[in-house]
Amino acid sequence: MNYFPDEVLEHVFDFVASHRDRNAVSLVCRLWHRVERLSRQRVFVGNCYALSPEILIARFPGLKSLTLKGKPHFADFNLVPHDWGGYVQPWIEALSNSRIGLEELRLKRMVVSDESLELLSRSFANFKSLVLVSCEGFTTVGLAAIAANCRFLRELDLQENEIDDHSGHWLSCFPDSCTSLISLNFALPLETLQNILMRAPQLVDLGTGSYIHDPDSETYNKLKHTILKCKSIRNLSGFLEVAPRCLPAIYPICLNLTSLNLSYAAGIHGSELVKLIRRCAKLQRLWILDCIGDKGLEVVASTCKELQELRVFPSDVLGVGHAAVTENGLVAISAGCPKLHSLLYFCQQMTNAALIVVAKNCPNFIRFRLCILEPTKPDPVTMQPLDDGFGAIVQSCKHLRRLSLSGLLTDRVFLYIGMYAEQLEMLSVAFAGDSDKGMLYVLNGCKKLRKLEIRDCPYGDKALLTDVGKYETMRSLWMSSCEVTLGGCKTLAKEMPRLNVEIINEHDQMEIGSEEQRVEKMYLYRTLVGPRKDAPEFVWTL
Amino acid sequence: MELQLGLALPSNPSKGFDLNYFASEPKEIAVSNRSFTVASSCTDINDINDNNKKRSFDQTFENPTDSTVPRTLPLLLWNHHPNEEDDPKDLENHSLVTFNDKKDGDNGDGLVGWPPIRSRWKNKRLCHENNGAVGLENGFACGIRGSNSTYVKVKMEGVPIARKIDLSLHHSFQTLTETLMDMFGQWWLETGQKDSNQYKLAYQDREGDWLFTEDVSWRTFSRSVQRIKLLKSSR
Repeated sequence: MNYFPDEVLEHVFDFVASHRDRNAVSLVCRLWHRVERLSRQRVFVGNCYALSPEILIARFPGLKSLTLKGKPHFADFNLVPHDWGGYVQPWIEALSNSRIGLEELRLKRMVVSDESLELLSRSFANFKSLVLVSCEGFTTVGLAAIAANCRFLRELDLQENEIDDHSGHWLSCFPDSCTSLISLNFALPLETLQNILMRAPQLVDLGTGSYIHDPDSETYNKLKHTILKCKSIRNLSGFLEVAPRCLPAIYPICLNLTSLNLSYAAGIHGSELVKLIRRCAKLQRLWILDCIGDKGLEVVASTCKELQELRVFPSDVLGVGHAAVTENGLVAISAGCPKLHSLLYFCQQMTNAALIVVAKNCPNFIRFRLCILEPTKPDPVTMQPLDDGFGAIVQSCKHLRRLSLSGLLTDRVFLYIGMYAEQLEMLSVAFAGDSDKGMLYVLNGCKKLRKLEIRDCPYGDKALLTDVGKYETMRSLWMSSCEVTLGGCKTLAKEMPRLNVEIINEHDQMEIGSEEQRVEKMYLYRTLVGPRKDAPEFVWTL
Repeated sequence: MELQLGLALPSNPSKGFDLNYFASEPKEIAVSNRSFTVASSCTDINDINDNNKKRSFDQTFENPTDSTVPRTLPLLLWNHHPNEEDDPKDLENHSLVTFNDKKDGDNGDGLVGWPPIRSRWKNKRLCHENNGAVGLENGFACGIRGSNSTYVKVKMEGVPIARKIDLSLHHSFQTLTETLMDMFGQWWLETGQKDSNQYKLAYQDREGDWLFTEDVSWRTFSRSVQRIKLLKSSR
């Protein structure tokens, strides 16, 4: 048998980039496992409670980039109490005490304190990139430490975070010339926007906060001129309060924009949005409010031929006459944007016929998340459930990895999902199904399922306990407002010691010892390190 | 099993999917053969409360007979219309689904965590506190253009008309109570009652439960309050 020297193996492994492929490589044999782990630089941890920082550091001494996720997805919708967990501090402490030369940290749904940010900023000389998505617990004090101490910072991306603002001046902590900074993604107030653009002219990603109201002011003119110089901007987001007359200031960069996020720009009327989008022919990613309307989506379909990802959010418009989107907008998009692969679409209604057309037009969907605003709403034309429509989607889209369902659905849709959704990794279900069979179809059929989150469905202990081994092949399962009982969860926890079965017992609803009572919120996940030690009082690990 | 794609298509397919006869959404849908088993099927509201182990407003405050205060149902009971008789036959064959009209933008009557977007209330609060600074990148529309405040509905026991109060103007229960007393002062003048000690402050949190404010800190309260009620405290 010929053996390659380690260096050759390592060189070959360099070309294996995705963490899943690298995980597979490491399972081939001991030699490959060792070479792979010593050369691995990027690690993705989908659940911070699945392992400990010490295990991570021991296995991957060459770690440079770490991605960590904390709370379950439904925490975004207030279904998880505030102090549930997901603290990054132990990770940063352990990493800073080790010899790891961390350069990039990407966190999602974690609790990040100012103390953590300060420790982070002081511990890693080559730190280059911080991405915080849906995190909380920090203030601008922590951000100031990052800005001041991380000399080589290239990327600072703060999306959808809850920041308690203590001081507005942290941005001045950036050095006078941030030639390394290419990405600054968070809402910037106008004056600082101006400032930053001057200091970091090579900025590629830019977030803006309150935009300007009066197009005649001097600041507006200055901004216009500054933006003209920023030819490099590719990603733009923000516009919380903007007067439509001021939008022309960004027209010069529209042509080069590949990503545009207007999802919190409630003040822009649909027609103004359309005028803006007509100029953005190169858009690959668009996040927008439903006030753009079906007609507006038709414009998107005819203009943005490169579109890959679309998110249409519900606008909070009061009163009658607001232009929401229906199935027509989605059909138009599917017909006009052949490269579309990721969709999040909030709408008033959907029909099976439309979904079938969309499935035929876009067989390349990877993520398909549909949210019909009214739970259990049927097809308004036929008054039928939407089983067949979603069935068409899973049958046609053979690469589908993520699916969110809504509308009126019976067990049949889950039969289709179990049969056809072979690549499905994440499924979100709400107010759907008739019996335990629905959940079982999914657990039996979707071999690649990793995350399943269910709320308000009639699944009970039988669905939960029929295939307990399945859960060790998955990252996590969330069930809330279903029919599982305390006894059922206890049985599961007993049979599967390598799962943490957590019950969230808010407001002391549950009594110890009463096995038949329904469990309101259950979250289970596989783990190497047993019950977590930072669980609050209202979380029971069975 | 073959996917059945022979659906009822619009009668004139060449027109495209022109479905614009839904000018207004029905508030109630009768759907056959569906049993909404969010709670186990039973016909009595109180039984469902026990099953859910979630306190309804009435259970919490033991005031089932006060006819001037409309019954507030637990959030999970969206399969019961509050004013209808429970007819077992209806529940077997149909389920009436009532979704509260959200016209006034009040999240308090809706389902918890639905629609699945990040909390607008949280966002409104940040809008106000940060006035356009870095905290504002949180998800979604602030709602009314230019609005920066956090209004919650306040109902006083015995008063038919609810009011709204801007919570962001307050930082303690004391100022809040004083303002509320002033607000309802007109009513008291008419009925001859005026004694703030007679009233207790209660609120509904994000999860739908009713709690007394005297049990919690201002911080906990202000972060999760959805609605407020003033109750007579003589019991």
